Amino acid sequence: MAAAAGSRGFGLGRPGWRARADVVRTVFVARIKIITRYKGAILMEALLPIVFAAMPVLLGTTVASQQGVDPGAVFCENTMVSGRCTTNFRLYMLIGASTFTVVSLMLWLIGYWVRREQETGTLESLALAPARRIWVLAGVTTYAFVRAMIAFVIAIALGSLIFQVNPFERGVATALAFLALGLLPLWGLSFMFGAFIMKIKEADSVIQVLQWVLAFLMGVFYPITLLPPIMQGVAGLFPPTVMTDAVRASILDISYFYGSAYGSLAVLFAMALIVPLLGYEVFEVTERRLRRKEGVGHY
Amino acid sequence: MHRGVGLSRFDLRNRAISFWDMSKKKIVEFSRYPVAFVALFVQIFLIIAMFLFASLAFTPGGRASPAAGQQALGATVVYGFIVGLFLSFTLWEIGFSIREEQTRGTLESLYLSPASKVSSLVARVFAILLWSGAMAVMAIVFVGAVVGGLPTANVGLALLVLLFSISGFLGMGFIFAGVTIKLKETAQLLVNGLQFFFMIFSAQFFPFAALRQVSPLIVDGVSKWLPVSYCVDAFRSLLIGAEPELGLGMGAEILIVVAFGIVSPIVGYWIYKRLERGARIAGTLGEY
Repeated sequence: MAAAAGSRGFGLGRPGWRARADVVRTVFVARIKIITRYKGAILMEALLPIVFAAMPVLLGTTVASQQGVDPGAVFCENTMVSGRCTTNFRLYMLIGASTFTVVSLMLWLIGYWVRREQETGTLESLALAPARRIWVLAGVTTYAFVRAMIAFVIAIALGSLIFQVNPFERGVATALAFLALGLLPLWGLSFMFGAFIMKIKEADSVIQVLQWVLAFLMGVFYPITLLPPIMQGVAGLFPPTVMTDAVRASILDISYFYGSAYGSLAVLFAMALIVPLLGYEVFEVTERRLRRKEGVGHY
Repeated sequence: MHRGVGLSRFDLRNRAISFWDMSKKKIVEFSRYPVAFVALFVQIFLIIAMFLFASLAFTPGGRASPAAGQQALGATVVYGFIVGLFLSFTLWEIGFSIREEQTRGTLESLYLSPASKVSSLVARVFAILLWSGAMAVMAIVFVGAVVGGLPTANVGLALLVLLFSISGFLGMGFIFAGVTIKLKETAQLLVNGLQFFFMIFSAQFFPFAALRQVSPLIVDGVSKWLPVSYCVDAFRSLLIGAEPELGLGMGAEILIVVAFGIVSPIVGYWIYKRLERGARIAGTLGEY
């Protein structure tokens, strides 16, 4: 990638906008080409949220039926906030699991990208390329975003057929707007995560544990109002939680964690402004420190 | 080898020593990555907590529901999860470890050593299975603390069922080790798929009644044909002290699990040897 960027004539000159866009495109195309060699991975990513949603649906249905009550009614009663709830627990789980897949994939793909480059010994050469890191990262995150969205769309479409739910009844445009806005802080989180992996190196275990922390905090299977108050506070400051909650609230017409759609929009907007800048800063600082010490390619 | 195998034949003592050496190598490797160990531990609690929260959302009265209901629910989740934990680690660890050796370029040289191949395969998963056992105990304690105690009837028999189940899973792990040699990176996708398949169709996180509610055909046409389902059902039912759900009776289920535990490693190893031989003939054993 570095070589490709270099060959396009940066020389001693500063890359202009066209060259920067070219870096993003080159990195993006390279990643896409790699993943096309593993088509099964995309299918598996799309099936993951369906399997993930199926488990609580099956568990919950049995629990409720054993007590002789309607699972939808019990779910509605137990998850009611400000007098609003939904009986459509299948769609609730499917949306939660699908947005979780987007979040998890974004972090996973960035973390693994950093680790792979370290392992294959190309991260250091990448640091020597004249292209600024932000454009390389933009290429990788765009690829992660596209891959995550493919999984999301397939999961929602296929999951809706399997669970026999209709996600297009209401609020789709609002949900998509929240999803789009929520992806910006997610970008920032991905940068931070990449920096973290670069520093601690043990990508596998960290990614695995983090994805469950995410699932727990995001309230993939339950509203975060079910969590203890302190954890609710922590979860509410976490951008993917706000995104999942808002997407679900707009489609299922249930209450928003921050009171209203405008409340959640304001919080998510603030996060969209702060987190990407903070994330990139964290990435740059970590990288700079590592370069001064053992170097970024230390495996 | 360094203990003087030379040209002599491997006796039982040598086999035991080489097995311990190979297992020790994995333990040393694990000890170099303490974050991974802690991460695994944390992960287990998070998964269980998440499913418990999810199921509480369907329990009339939620967290204020009667303790007996919560205990039955917690037992169903955690006992199924324990079997799933061993299955998942066995499936993942052997194949993943082979893949790592391929990536590092050490697999081919390893195959030139006179050490037993079965030992080499089992040693890859031995340490993680011991750790899984510890995690299983901690998971039971954790869920027990959350729901106010778990039923623990027939512990001895349940442990025997678990032992044969693990032996059966090892056979599946051997097959996937062979598949990894053949398919390389793609094998991990297959393992992933298989893991999800068993999670759902062997009812690891919910009772089989849930699948029957969706369609009786799922249980009769799929679950009942999977030995893993009997491992889950027998282990869970024994500990809860209830009748097994798959309808064969406890005696028959235990027999199936024992047969699975004996036959699966033999068949699995035979398949592994065939795949490995194919790779050696084709010269692709260490190919990355």
